[in-house]
Amino acid sequence: MVSPLWFIEVAISKNTVLSQRVFVVQKRFCSRFYLACMKTLIKFFLTFKTLLVFLFLELVSFLLIVNNNQFQKSQFLSSSNVIVGSIYEGASSVFGYFGLKETNGILAQENSRLKEELLSCKSELERMRRDSNFAARASVAERNCYSFVSAKVINASVYKERNYITLDKGAGDGIRQDMGVIGPNGVVGIVRSVSDHFSEVIPIVCLSDFNVSARIKGNSNLGSVSWSGGDYRKADLWEIPQYVSLQVGDTVETSGCSSIFPEGIVIGTVCDVKRKSEDYFYDIEINLSTDFSNLTYVDVINYQFAEEQNNLEEAEK
Amino acid sequence: MTGSVLSYVLRFVLFVLLQVLVLNRVLFFDFVNPYLYVLFIITLPTMMDRIAQMLVAFLLGLCVDIFSGTIGLNAFACVLTAYIKPFQNKAFGPQEEFGIVPSFTTYGVAQFVQYSSVLVLIHHLAFFIAEAGSFEHFGTILLKTLCSSVFTMLLIISVEYFKSRK
Repeated sequence: MVSPLWFIEVAISKNTVLSQRVFVVQKRFCSRFYLACMKTLIKFFLTFKTLLVFLFLELVSFLLIVNNNQFQKSQFLSSSNVIVGSIYEGASSVFGYFGLKETNGILAQENSRLKEELLSCKSELERMRRDSNFAARASVAERNCYSFVSAKVINASVYKERNYITLDKGAGDGIRQDMGVIGPNGVVGIVRSVSDHFSEVIPIVCLSDFNVSARIKGNSNLGSVSWSGGDYRKADLWEIPQYVSLQVGDTVETSGCSSIFPEGIVIGTVCDVKRKSEDYFYDIEINLSTDFSNLTYVDVINYQFAEEQNNLEEAEK
Repeated sequence: MTGSVLSYVLRFVLFVLLQVLVLNRVLFFDFVNPYLYVLFIITLPTMMDRIAQMLVAFLLGLCVDIFSGTIGLNAFACVLTAYIKPFQNKAFGPQEEFGIVPSFTTYGVAQFVQYSSVLVLIHHLAFFIAEAGSFEHFGTILLKTLCSSVFTMLLIISVEYFKSRK
């Protein structure tokens, strides 16, 4: 068997014979050093020819594997990605310091922007939190039969026996007589009369025949809230039977049994319960959740089936 | 000389066909796959040029690869085996004689089994590492190597046994 590199061997062996003559011929053109280098190189190749052929064949096999087999290719690429990735990571940990100043500026800008956003979010959240009816109103709005008209209180009295509130929206904004009015904290009253641009509201705190149908939260027994004069922060809840268990602090909310208010709007909390033995009902005093002395914005509730419901109820009477 | 070359060519074809048509379909326990064609490399004459041995091994591996759809895997393992083979020949073969064909009769049964099992292990290890593509599941690679090597060795021993009886 002959080596596949026989031609090199032949060239070398002939070279040893010819070397003297070649050397003489080339003496003027090539330096001795150059020839020595070439000889060493060829010697090196011949000494390690087996190893070099071996490495070459293995390299060919490897390239064949990687180029023809998807799985091995992915394996090789993923493992080489680990190496490449760690190199990049090391580089970025060094070069990252050079951009610190710029990064700091960007971060500071972002910080101030986020702070602004946070403040506005906080105030929004605070507004919603104060507006304890927010959730109830949202769920009511989902049913689509209630719509809300936002209005501003432009005149109000609380210290009289017949108190009133004037709003800056009227019939032109869709407000009609007998619509319910709620504030951020709870029920306010009912629209008594409207002009084109204004409307007048009877608040709960008004000595009139106006009652709000109410119930204790979590209980379905109907009562009614009315005001008997005096303190504008207090009102009375009537007609809750004594077998209903309740305690001070219970929430009183609208029952929904009228065409005025949707159910679940907060009216106030129970602050005093009197139980008279000869009576069937409790005598309950409640703290109104709406502060009538400090009322700025209210929502007028437009129940779109109010007329239909009223007509039906009138017909039955 | 030409007769022996022709017989080697015939054995080459025979080993490739045996491997791709029969043995590649043998799969015990999902991962035991004997590679008998390594015997061709193992029994290449020691007088043969090392580079020629590697080239033949490369060609053999490539042929098996082409039929098995695993281009490069067997070639990789075969070239490695052929590269290491001469060292093993020196280690296990009879010192005084040079240029013989490794077999039961020339090496002796025990020597030949040792000699071939080392090469088979190297071949299988290289093959399964290349197949896995990484050292991530090295335990599985070792298990596959050992199990397949045992089966390959059983086949090699039986083939050599029948050859020596002829």
